[in-house]
Amino acid sequence: MTLATELQRWGRWFLPGLAVLLVILALFPIWATGYGVRVMLQLFMWIALAQSWNLISGLTGYVSFGHVAFFGMGAYTTGILVTRGMPWPLAALAGGAMAVVLAFVIGWPCLRLKGPYFAIAMLGLNEVLRVAASYFEGLTGGGLGLSLPTLDASVRIYYAMGLVALAVTGLTHAIVTSRFGLRLMTIREDEVAAEAMGIDTFRYKIYAFLLSAVAPGIVGGLAARDMGYIEPISVFPLLTTITMIVMVLFGGKGTIWGPVLGAVILFTFQELVWAHFPHAHQVLLGAIIITVVLAMPRGILGVLQQKYNLPRTV
Amino acid sequence: MRPGVITHVTPIMLGQVIVSGLLAGALYAMVALGLGLIFGVMRVLNVAHGPLLMLGAYITYWLFSTVGLNPYLSLLVSMPLVFLIGVALQHVLVRRVVDAPELSSLLLTFGISIALVNLAQLAFTSDLRSVEFLTGSFLVGPFAFSKSRVIACLFAAGITTLAFLFLQKTRMGKAIRAVSQSREVAQVCGINVQRIHLFAFGLASALAAAGGTLVAVMVAIQPEMGAVYTFKSFLVIVLGGAGNYPGALLGGLLLGLVEQLASLFLTTQVNEAVAYVLLVLVLLLRPTGLLGGRST
Amino acid sequence: MPGPILQVRNLVKSFGGVTAVNGVSLSLEAGKIYGLIGPNGSGKTTLFNCITGIERRDGGAIGFKGRRIDGLKPHQVFHRGIGRTFQVIRVFPELTALENLLVVTSGDYARSRKRAEELLRFVKLERLADEYAGNLSYGQQKLVEFIRVLMSDPELILLDEPAAGVNRTLLNELLDAVRALRDRGKTVFLVEHDMKVVMGLCETVFVLDHGEKLAEGPPGVIQSDERVIEAYFGR
Repeated sequence: MTLATELQRWGRWFLPGLAVLLVILALFPIWATGYGVRVMLQLFMWIALAQSWNLISGLTGYVSFGHVAFFGMGAYTTGILVTRGMPWPLAALAGGAMAVVLAFVIGWPCLRLKGPYFAIAMLGLNEVLRVAASYFEGLTGGGLGLSLPTLDASVRIYYAMGLVALAVTGLTHAIVTSRFGLRLMTIREDEVAAEAMGIDTFRYKIYAFLLSAVAPGIVGGLAARDMGYIEPISVFPLLTTITMIVMVLFGGKGTIWGPVLGAVILFTFQELVWAHFPHAHQVLLGAIIITVVLAMPRGILGVLQQKYNLPRTV
Repeated sequence: MRPGVITHVTPIMLGQVIVSGLLAGALYAMVALGLGLIFGVMRVLNVAHGPLLMLGAYITYWLFSTVGLNPYLSLLVSMPLVFLIGVALQHVLVRRVVDAPELSSLLLTFGISIALVNLAQLAFTSDLRSVEFLTGSFLVGPFAFSKSRVIACLFAAGITTLAFLFLQKTRMGKAIRAVSQSREVAQVCGINVQRIHLFAFGLASALAAAGGTLVAVMVAIQPEMGAVYTFKSFLVIVLGGAGNYPGALLGGLLLGLVEQLASLFLTTQVNEAVAYVLLVLVLLLRPTGLLGGRST
Repeated sequence: MPGPILQVRNLVKSFGGVTAVNGVSLSLEAGKIYGLIGPNGSGKTTLFNCITGIERRDGGAIGFKGRRIDGLKPHQVFHRGIGRTFQVIRVFPELTALENLLVVTSGDYARSRKRAEELLRFVKLERLADEYAGNLSYGQQKLVEFIRVLMSDPELILLDEPAAGVNRTLLNELLDAVRALRDRGKTVFLVEHDMKVVMGLCETVFVLDHGEKLAEGPPGVIQSDERVIEAYFGR
């Protein structure tokens, strides 16, 4: 029996296996330590971030170098609303909404540009937002940051993050298996031909971009609540964007489970090994990007897909 | 009235600002020319351009702090050294993505830039460094120009002129321009395109390093200093038109001018956003650059 | 339908200092096969690009079915009823042959799928429906690009060098398909270098040289036109 048919046989166990895993994760906080909950919560956050980046950059090929902007936007929105008394779940959703607004404001001019120019525009975005956060001091607390009233909601945030991660993965599945998703991919494959075939690429890019901003916005808000303190540098760090990108590239961009795989593997390494060597950590991330781009541009899942002829919707 | 916002402008202020803009612009032009070469010849957007500038700055710093070498003399070291680094990067890494979709080269150079920045951090830590060499200003009538800026501009102008003479007059330079126009035709004419790629990347890196050396005397040196130059170089290329080398020159001067003029009316923080807004505006209104050039 | 289906009036398009199309005017009537020939660099593909909105013209006007289409974006031109293929094949490599066809139409999925499968059967590629288009042979990709254009049932079909790199048998199938389209009332406009194809297929031929229309007429007349011969073989 070839490996392909082996995997197909195991494929039937996939959904039940997934269900079991989800149940375990749901019950996890009951017997886990506070530390364990916070670690898993972060993993869910990274999964949500990676999946979102995949929605725009993996599917349409438009590299968003400034995606952390939506995370920060959500963080600040939630932070500001919570300090004014709004309950955090609602504030986090508002964070997601504001992130979408930001995505529209940026996307409207920038997505008309062709891929590389869009990437350049996004490169500068981070800086601009960091400057803006410092500038609007009255609202954001400027460089000194914003403190939220103390609250230990780790477990609830764990579930919230988990839900978002699940939702985004589900959304990705729905998109990749639909004609909408196919059309997004044509933008990546050959934008000129896509236009010539009647696809309004600008409209599709905007949809993808907006969709890709929701989860980072919400997750940013949840993270802000969890950390209890926000300052410009902590919510707009380049490292977050880099990590998002590496996770997706490594796992397999354009696939459904690639970002999850990448997030799990890299996050594990991060926690166990690299957190102890911060600068080596970043050099390593750079090296991984280089290696993946040169040696396995389609990531781990891409390699497996080719080798074992797996379907694209994996 | 917020501090830093001026309500009326005197001719002297204007004159000061315009000349300052041109001084800064020359430096931008030189560095941007490098980025433009890589894009024109290989169609690669080199996100690592800023880090290469940073390397030049650190080389100057190191030579200055260990053996007290005159920073301007260190140009003779930083430029050739970073030239070689550029050639090595091209040969080992960049060459493999020249024909790949643009996404690949973008990500690859992005990876390189991360690696370079963090290697610098490992080597030098993120502590701010400086090269205290030239202070004070030249006083010309009612105007005062920082000495280091004037000298940086002179060197930048000189190096850029040499670069242009090279492109116009020498065989290698002409070959570079040929490949920028059309790689296929250049190949048919017997030009060794691989060698041109190597040389162009090296030259571009050297130009960036020169920028770093000149800037080392003026600003704080730290590993992430290059990022803003990468971005501004992109802006200059967009202003002048991709593949339009003389356009990069004018684009650089234009950027310098706009920045200095903006500083008259805006606080320094918002100043950083000026370049960004300018980029988005130009990309939307005249994607082929103000002076015309190739679109991607 | 009264009037020509496509009218190009004094079209001008320049790139920097080079004028690729210099005041070209032509007029196509529905239900015929037209050819566009000319030496390399004479502006043929640029003309196509202007018609389909991929390039923005610098001067002149283009009318389709009586309405102006210059200035429209490519996807809008497509929805007016113009489809095209490209000189260099542009299938979507990471989509399957079937998916390449499905992305073109919206609305009823089942109906699109049926049509896609029909078209694949038409060119005998039905067993490759789930193969990634990038893995297909040159000729197969060419066919997929051809039927992809037909998915939306356009009234005017622009073919850019359909015969390039295609073997004899395949070519004959393509030509038969084009004639069948004409018989159904479609208008076909093709750029081609293969003279035998042009002479055997087209009812009217336009000749471009250095961005200008040199001649226009039935193939037999064009073939013996001195100016055309000069343009191809030099002065």
